[in-house]
Amino acid sequence: MTSTYDLHMPATAREAIDLLARHGDDAHVMAGGTSLVLMMQQGLIRPAHVVSLHKVSELRGIRSTADGSLEIGALATHREIERSPLVRAHSAMLAEAFARIATVRIREQATLGGNLAHADPAQDPPPALIAVGALVLIQGPGPAREIPLEDLLVDIFTTSLEPGELIVGVRIPPLAAGTRAVYLKFLPRTEDDYATVSVAAAAVVAGDGTVRQLRVALGAVGATPIRARAAEAALLGLKADEKAIKAAAERAAEATDPIADGRGSAGYKRSMARVFTERALRAVLA
Amino acid sequence: MRFEHKSTVNAPRAVVWAFLLDVPRVAHCVPGVETIESIGDDRFRGVLKVAVGPVRLTLTGEVAIASRDEAAGIAVLRATAADKGAGGAVSAEMRMVVTDGMAPDTSELQIVTEAQVMGRIGEFGQPIIKRKADQTMNEFAANLGRAISVP
Repeated sequence: MTSTYDLHMPATAREAIDLLARHGDDAHVMAGGTSLVLMMQQGLIRPAHVVSLHKVSELRGIRSTADGSLEIGALATHREIERSPLVRAHSAMLAEAFARIATVRIREQATLGGNLAHADPAQDPPPALIAVGALVLIQGPGPAREIPLEDLLVDIFTTSLEPGELIVGVRIPPLAAGTRAVYLKFLPRTEDDYATVSVAAAAVVAGDGTVRQLRVALGAVGATPIRARAAEAALLGLKADEKAIKAAAERAAEATDPIADGRGSAGYKRSMARVFTERALRAVLA
Repeated sequence: MRFEHKSTVNAPRAVVWAFLLDVPRVAHCVPGVETIESIGDDRFRGVLKVAVGPVRLTLTGEVAIASRDEAAGIAVLRATAADKGAGGAVSAEMRMVVTDGMAPDTSELQIVTEAQVMGRIGEFGQPIIKRKADQTMNEFAANLGRAISVP
């Protein structure tokens, strides 16, 4: 039951921002529309104005910048990210994480910016992107800004975007040489389901086995994706043996706050968060 | 979903008991309650607005005092509410137990809430309501303790 709304089709990001600033809370941005249209049909969101980004071609594309960063436009589809040689060269983990989102029909339609603005804690891109240190590029009525992805996602379906602000892309700084990364998700039901828990980890291990860099992020077990900082701290500067990995995974599980649903009880999900964090840590550290 | 809260309230038991049976005052401790009015017979009708990111739900429903036992200090409230647009509904039973506190003129308040999410609310609606219920109950328990406490 979708209510009526005015559809706006701006041609530039600036025009889109002006429309958002003018209509405030009554307006909602539409990129690929895979989540927004469902939520409108379910009556959860009833915008008076929909600002479609369909014609804003400046937000498309994937490129490498002079400093070795990877920049992905907000309107890049999941499928484009999955297939991009630039993404694969920067982080094969990222390409593989995007290749396993939902189904190919959804990946052809859903966009990176839409996914991040949706702020659904059960989505795949946020933990994978947080593990590789992604920064969100934001434009709005004020000056453009760039924030760590974990600072964008503040609560379930809630971002820290100010009124009138638009996600224009994501920048992933160059990864240190020798970075190993993995994205694991637990799918006990079907391959295209939301994960029961997902874990992304990226690490740099020195020649003598010391953990030099480590970022761990979990999805689907809290109101937002969770950066497992206590787990990271438990391993940084140490040689990661099995005992240290188990202890760190315990720290990650403690940081979760899952809700019970058809995919399991809260306690079960917390246990699976520990198990999958252990596996992810072994994959990047052992 | 089950939520449990325990707190020490700076008011004697009789004051807490009177407050708990004053449903409009209790309801106004729930964040998002817009209106609450008596429809007689220990029943009340009200509107609760829930905002989660871009999602706006307006839950309209009823609260009733299901039972009260002043000697034991136990009161039970039952509430049902539904959002017409999203086709989702919530029902909850809240058991409130008040006992004398350790210090004079204080009380111990225990609130146990059992809540269910029902209706055609989909993949997005379920986690929204579950997450929001948790946050709402925490704020409610804190607000209630503050509202009852004698300054």
